[in-house]
Amino acid sequence: MKRRTLLQRMAAGAGAICAASLPYGLARFLSPDAAAASRTHLRPPGALKDDAAFIEACIGCGLCGEICPPKCIRFFAREGGGGVNTPYINPEERACILCNKCQEVCPTDALTDMPREEVDMGIAQIDRLTCYPWVDTGVCGACVSICPLGDQAIDFKLWNQYKPVVQDGCVGCGLCVEVCPHPSLPIRIVERSEGTVTRHNL
Amino acid sequence: MPDTTGTAEKKFLLRRHVNKLRWVSLATVFVMLILLPYIHVYQTFVAAHAYDFLAPAEKQLYDVMRFVTSPLTSDPAEELDAIKGSTWSGNFFGLKLSDPLAVLGQIAAARRVYVPILVSALIPIGLTLVFGRFFCGWICPATFLYELNTNFGDLLNRLGFRLHRRRFDRRFKYLVLAMGIILAAVTGSVLMAAIYPPAIIGRELYYAIALGGFGSGAVFFVFTLLFDLLVARRGFCRYLCPGGALYSLLGRFRLLRIQRVVEDCNDCAKCNAVCEFGLNPLRDDFGQECNNCSACIAVCPTDALIFRAQIHDQPDQGPGHLGRHYRHRSETGKDA
Repeated sequence: MKRRTLLQRMAAGAGAICAASLPYGLARFLSPDAAAASRTHLRPPGALKDDAAFIEACIGCGLCGEICPPKCIRFFAREGGGGVNTPYINPEERACILCNKCQEVCPTDALTDMPREEVDMGIAQIDRLTCYPWVDTGVCGACVSICPLGDQAIDFKLWNQYKPVVQDGCVGCGLCVEVCPHPSLPIRIVERSEGTVTRHNL
Repeated sequence: MPDTTGTAEKKFLLRRHVNKLRWVSLATVFVMLILLPYIHVYQTFVAAHAYDFLAPAEKQLYDVMRFVTSPLTSDPAEELDAIKGSTWSGNFFGLKLSDPLAVLGQIAAARRVYVPILVSALIPIGLTLVFGRFFCGWICPATFLYELNTNFGDLLNRLGFRLHRRRFDRRFKYLVLAMGIILAAVTGSVLMAAIYPPAIIGRELYYAIALGGFGSGAVFFVFTLLFDLLVARRGFCRYLCPGGALYSLLGRFRLLRIQRVVEDCNDCAKCNAVCEFGLNPLRDDFGQECNNCSACIAVCPTDALIFRAQIHDQPDQGPGHLGRHYRHRSETGKDA
């Protein structure tokens, strides 16, 4: 008889715990999609490099988006798990201007305050088989003229004006991607890895 | 002894009108949450110096917002940043404020303490220690909609729709809070943000107005509205809300309480009927759940409910002295 009451109580406890998790399950059910491609979904400037750490730190308050002057910061609406309501920037749509307001306003350390030169959202990479000046089909230089960091991030090739070359100082804000006039966007933001620039400047 | 016949002019009592003040507070918060996304959109237009490129509707928005904000600021792109965010976390003239639940969730998810966000929750925590669960009744933007939803349910009842008024165990929300902390620690994300109605409202209003579409939280919120309407009155706040649980725990020994003056009470039980959280003011059972919303004070016909500064409720004082039960008892000398 005692064993029966014990079992009944355990079953009731398990049921209560399951019922208490139900709201979380429902919220999870409403946002089932997996992570989007990172190339068009950059984290805002100053974000923790480890994305799991970023999701742990982000409370999903949306302040970064609400203060962003170009309104470039969007939010994952249906990304499953913890990624829902976390911010991203799609530079092909609207790019970051590196104003650092989101870092100042972030209540957690998800976006850490840092000077714009130390931001690391990625690094630009130019497809030299498509870019207008590189294939000698025109004079452009839009990416170089818009870059907020100047010639430490992107510059013309020394011996040939108008052929843009990404430098080590690029922080991946994506303004060049937004402004690029080529329909297939030969300039993209990629993950920064060892020797990305050197490899590309060969 | 107060006049209950209604022939004499009633004295003006401020505490009877606190409930109206509360509605002003709730409406202000809600209007701000709608206004702030519009202000942000206006700021982006100003920052872009692009008035001539705006669509006609955007130009209209620009003109209206400039009219509204021009008396306050000459530099909207910068100075309107003074108020940003929602009740989940926000900036108020340089003061950073966060919901204690956001802090708890973040600590659980990251398993370490980040001091600046903890500091931003100190003012809400301090106020909760004094005023109890006042956030739920006075500020929460979801409460605004939930109370309107309650009134809608009353209307449906009057029209003859039979709605369920189930009651569950109020302690269930503490389990929801505990599960939220555990799941946040396991999954490494602040899960409470996805089910906490005020956070959802603040966020979804911004998504809808500035980013042009609701997220998944809006669907969840509609579910909670239906739950309140069809299953249990104010059910989410009473039985499920993890934030309400945290505020209740913090406000357990709150300083400001609503108490019953037994000499003036006539046992009419209107206070119990009006209480959104299903408490029992009639028999002095307020407990930690009371959010000092003062709806019971406003409805009390004999002004027997008052605010009092003490950290414990009074024990059950029995029937009110103006009531039938008390007179019966004092006449016959035994319990009614």
